[in-house]
Formats: sequence, structure tokens, C-alpha cells
Amino acid sequence: MTSAAVPNNYSRSLFRPTTVLVEDEAADCPLVESIIERLPNAEVVVVKRPTGADLDRLSQEFGPLTTLLLARHRGRFLKACPGTAETYRCCLYQILHLGLGCNIGCSYCVLQGYLNNPFITQFVNLDDAFAELDRELKRPGTFYRIGTGEFTDSLFMDPLTGLASRLLDYFGRCPNAVLELKSKSVAISGLLDYPGEIGETIVSWSLNAPRVCAQEEGHAATIEERLTAAALCRQRGYRIGLHFDPLLDFPGWEDEYRQTVASIFTHLKGDDIIWISIGAFRFMPQVKEVLKENHPQTNITAGEFIRGLDGKQRYFSAIRRRLYRFLVTEIRRYAPNVFIYFCMEDQYLWQDTFGRAPADNQELGHWLDKCCYRYHG
Amino acid sequence: MNNVKTISCPLVDIDFADRTFPFSYGPCPDRLEKSIATAGFLHPPLLVAGENGFLIVCGRRRLEVLRKLAEDSGEAEISVNLAENSSLQELFRRALWENLAIREFNLVETADIYSAALKIFTVDEVEKEIMPVLKMPLRPRFRGRCQAIADFSQELRDLLAVGSVDAETVDLIKEWSADERSALIDLVTESNLRRNKLREVVGRLDDLARRDQISPLGLLTAVRQAALDEASNIDVELLRRHLKARLYPQLTAAHLEFVARQEKFPWLKHFRLEPPPDFEGGDYRLSFTFTNSKEWEKICAELNTVALEDIDDLCRRS
Repeated sequence: MTSAAVPNNYSRSLFRPTTVLVEDEAADCPLVESIIERLPNAEVVVVKRPTGADLDRLSQEFGPLTTLLLARHRGRFLKACPGTAETYRCCLYQILHLGLGCNIGCSYCVLQGYLNNPFITQFVNLDDAFAELDRELKRPGTFYRIGTGEFTDSLFMDPLTGLASRLLDYFGRCPNAVLELKSKSVAISGLLDYPGEIGETIVSWSLNAPRVCAQEEGHAATIEERLTAAALCRQRGYRIGLHFDPLLDFPGWEDEYRQTVASIFTHLKGDDIIWISIGAFRFMPQVKEVLKENHPQTNITAGEFIRGLDGKQRYFSAIRRRLYRFLVTEIRRYAPNVFIYFCMEDQYLWQDTFGRAPADNQELGHWLDKCCYRYHG
Repeated sequence: MNNVKTISCPLVDIDFADRTFPFSYGPCPDRLEKSIATAGFLHPPLLVAGENGFLIVCGRRRLEVLRKLAEDSGEAEISVNLAENSSLQELFRRALWENLAIREFNLVETADIYSAALKIFTVDEVEKEIMPVLKMPLRPRFRGRCQAIADFSQELRDLLAVGSVDAETVDLIKEWSADERSALIDLVTESNLRRNKLREVVGRLDDLARRDQISPLGLLTAVRQAALDEASNIDVELLRRHLKARLYPQLTAAHLEFVARQEKFPWLKHFRLEPPPDFEGGDYRLSFTFTNSKEWEKICAELNTVALEDIDDLCRRS
């Protein structure tokens, strides 16, 4: 399999920054040089480590959508997914924090309300990241599900960073951890061409209704493109994850989501899929204003949202239940045994939909761990 | 202060209409009028010569009060500080800092100061010097808010200046047409809708307009009609309920269904049964009141007769 098989007309979410800001304290990291080499026409500007006010000022000078910030990450790279309050079940996922933001521009992106850094940022002190992983993953008896797609898209910048192959070098041979790369792009050449051992690496795509994809997901690849890429990754031996998140309630949603589910199974078999997660649209109240400001054309926050027990705006539970039951039933028609779970949902809706509910986050985490071959040794 | 001389100035020589230095907008506090009426004009205002008379740099509110008092007393001349050989920027800064030393700016003042500063300073100076002083973040939302306020009708600006309309409401109505805003002002005036409830009402109108892709004006007319009481006055609570039911049809139906279900169970008359807020989560709450042991005993006995199926029926999810 070679990269020639990747959809070759796909270029929407390719990130070609015209300016690269390099934090002075990060300039000596090898990844900086390799990224700059791949951007021969970009203006490179070395800046002092920017703080909040500097970032505001820099964003006036350099357009955030066309600028890449290469920085040193000072905190922990591996951290627990923030999840949400205990009243909703979370899967105890671990995030490998290697970057911030992406250029896809989904209207519903909750990061709009959280990040105070306007620039797409790549952390370049990878040696520190891997050293931390070495220390952390030594803990005996602990199994890790680790993803890089929480604060950024795992793959959209891979043609610039080549990060996927660095991660595969590490996780391909890591006995007590699986890596999940989550994306809405199809920048999979690095994955397909990787010559080494890929272990149990999971490549996941966020999926939605075609209309949502067209109207709300900016420069993301189409659903067909994502699924084509998923099939190629499966052929190369990767396990495939799918994430229906956020599910949106809009006129005609049943037909739209039915169409997406049908598309999945024209590209993949149920056994190809390690898990499918589902989560209805939710957002912190303050995100609403930011979202309207950034995406004035969208009306996705104008539904029947109530204040959830975690303070987030969520669809009224009857709407969520309807969305979930429909989607789960549709998926089960094609893949009765595929593992489906909810992201940040309460146990009543678990019970209503699946007839069972994890007693706590540990149990849900355990259910996901058990999906991984590596967990069983 | 440099470049200033004190002169005696007839009030008629002051150009009250000029807003080059727009540092005050809205009604003057009563205490200011009382102070000037009682103690006189203690601190001379700062003026600068303009084409149609002296422009007010600092002290507009005091001068407005004085002009009003002068209409009664006939006193028409005061001592003022006249700035000479000072640039507009310098005077603007002086006025800004003098005002900041004694009070916070209201929304209209902030918007007017920002708009005026853009005419006097470079964009860079406004961003680095004026906006931080006004506590305005550099984000487009705040600039847009200020530009919108500058273009609002005087009626709406007056409501903003006295705090009857807040900044979040401005963000919601800034894209509305003049007719839509005018209809909203009528609603506020007729219903005496207070600031927080107004924000809720406008938020729901905005959500409905975006969801159903209709004009807020049509919605406003419809909900206004639906919220009239028997005397044809606007009932604010009815208005809010109507909007909520329209925006949350399924939640409203669930509440109505829950209330209807409760009516089937006569034992509930001694108890208060509440579903989880917005039916989120699973915790229903049953409460009752009592004043002595006999009442306690009676209620507990009644509670013991309640069948579990009844509870399941009451608490089932719609």
C-alpha cells in the first residue's frame, strides 16, 4: 500500500501556513527545522515566549489562520481527558498533548471557548514528551488508551510534522498502551507509508450527517473521503475507531444519519471497527456567544438546550434519547457486535439505550480497555 | 495644569452640541444637581476653543446641571479653565483620566469614547492605550458592540445609559434592523421589562429567529399579542412562558405530561413531588411539611400506602 491510494483531490484541510512563529526557547528543537524545511515559502519569525497579551498583539500582526506557532510545552504532556462531572460517564482516556487548534474550522468546536491562544500551535520538544511517556508508562499493571486528538486534529498537520511516524515508532512497540489518532482529515500518507510495526494503533474519524459535514465542518474532508481513508488504513492493519460527536438535532436528521451509517458499512466491516462513540452536542454556556461570533451563519445553538448537571448546555434528555436510540439501532443493523459507547452521558440514557450502564467511570474505562487486544496481553 | 488659563465664560458661548469629547451620556445624578445648587460650582470645567463656541473637554455633566439651574436662576456666566496650545490627543487623554478617576463609564459612554478615539488617534494607539483603559478586549465582538451602540437610536441609547439594557442584549440585537429594535423598545416601555428578563426574552427571540429562520420583528409581534392580559396590558410572565414553550416544545410537553400524571394520584395532595431540573439526571424529590408528631405519623402512614408501580409511573421518562 502506498500513499498513491489516498484520495488525491483532497486538499481542503491541508495546512500551508504563510508565517511560522518560532518561540526562541524552542528554536533548537529538531522538529522546528524539519517543519520549516517543508515550508520553503513561509516567513519565519522568532518570538520571545508569548504570554496572553503578546498573543493578542501577535494575532493582530499575523493572521491566526495562516500562522503556525512552534512552541515548547512546559506542562505535562500526558494528562487525563478533562471529561466532565461525575454525573456523566467518562471513559478515563489519556491525552498526549502535542498541539493546539486546527485549521478545519468546525462551527461547533468547543475549543473556541477554551483556548486563549489564537494560533495553531505545535509543541516541538518531543524529546521531553517521549521522556515523560517513558516515565509514565512504566507504572506496572496500568493500561493506557492515549489519544492526540483532543485539543487538535491528530493528522491535519502530519504532512508538515511527520509526527504520526514518530508516534508509531514509540507506540508500535509499547506493550501497555494503545494510541488513537482522531481526525477529520485524510492526511494518512504517513500512516500508510510507515514501514515499521504499527502495533494496535487506532485511527479514528469523527463522523456526522452529510449536511452537518457540509454546513458545519469547515474544511474537513467529506464523509466519503474519511471513510475511504479509514478503509485504506484498515488495509494497512490499523484498527478503526469512529466517533459520532457531536450529534445534532435538525430537521431530517434521521435520513442524514442513516445515510452516514450506511456509508460506513460500504467501506468497513463491523469487525474492522474497534469502537464507535456517540455524544450529542454539548457546550459550556459561554461558548454560545463565541460560536455565534465566529460562525454567524450557524443556528446549532438554537435548539432545546437545557443546563446539564455539569453546567454544560445539552439537548433535553428526550431528544438525546431519540438520537441515540436511532443511531444505535442503525449501527446494529449492520454490525450487531460492534462496541458502542457514549461520551459524557448519564447512566439513565445508557440504561435506556443499551439496557445496561457502567456503574462508574472505571467500569466504562474497563469496557474500552477490553476492546484492545493488547489489554489481554 | 500647563497651557490652561482661567476665564469667565457666558454659558451661551459653550457649544453643548459638540461631542468631540464624549465622556458623559445619560442623566446626571441628583446628588450632583443638589451639590451645585447648594455649594456652587467648585471646580471649573475644562474647555477648548472651537468653531461654534467653546468645546467641553471635562465637566459636561456639571455644565449641563448648571445650564438647567441657570434657566431658573438667570445666572449665565461661570469661571472655566480654557486649554490653549494643546493637541486633541492631549485633551482627550486628560478628559479620559479625569473621568476615570471619579467614576465608571456606562455602555454608551464607552462606545462613544471608543468611536471618538478612532477619529483622534491611530488604530494602534486606540488598541494599545484607549481600549485597555476602557477595559475593552481586542476582540471583534467588543468593537462591533461599540459601533452598534454608536448607531442606536437615542431612545435605545438612553435605556442603555441607565442600565435598563445590558451588553449581552446589545450583542443579540446589534444585527437587528431599526424597526426590530424599535419594536423591542416599545415592548420594554409597555411592559416595564427589567434588564435580566429582557436579556432572557431577547435571547429566546434570537434563538427562535435563528432556529426558524424568521425575522425577530414577526416573532416579537406574535409573542406580544399572545402575552396580552385581559386589560390588554403585556403580562411579562405570560410573555416569558410563551417564548419558553415555543423554544422548548418537548420540554414543555414533558412538564405538562408530568403535571397531568400527578393529578391521577390523590395521595400527592399532601406532598410536593419535583422532577429533576429539566428532567436531567434521575433524582426526583418528594417533600412534605408537618408541624407535630401526629401529622408526621399520618403522612408517613399515607406514604406507606403508595404503590411502587405508582412511583414508577410518576417518574417514568417521557
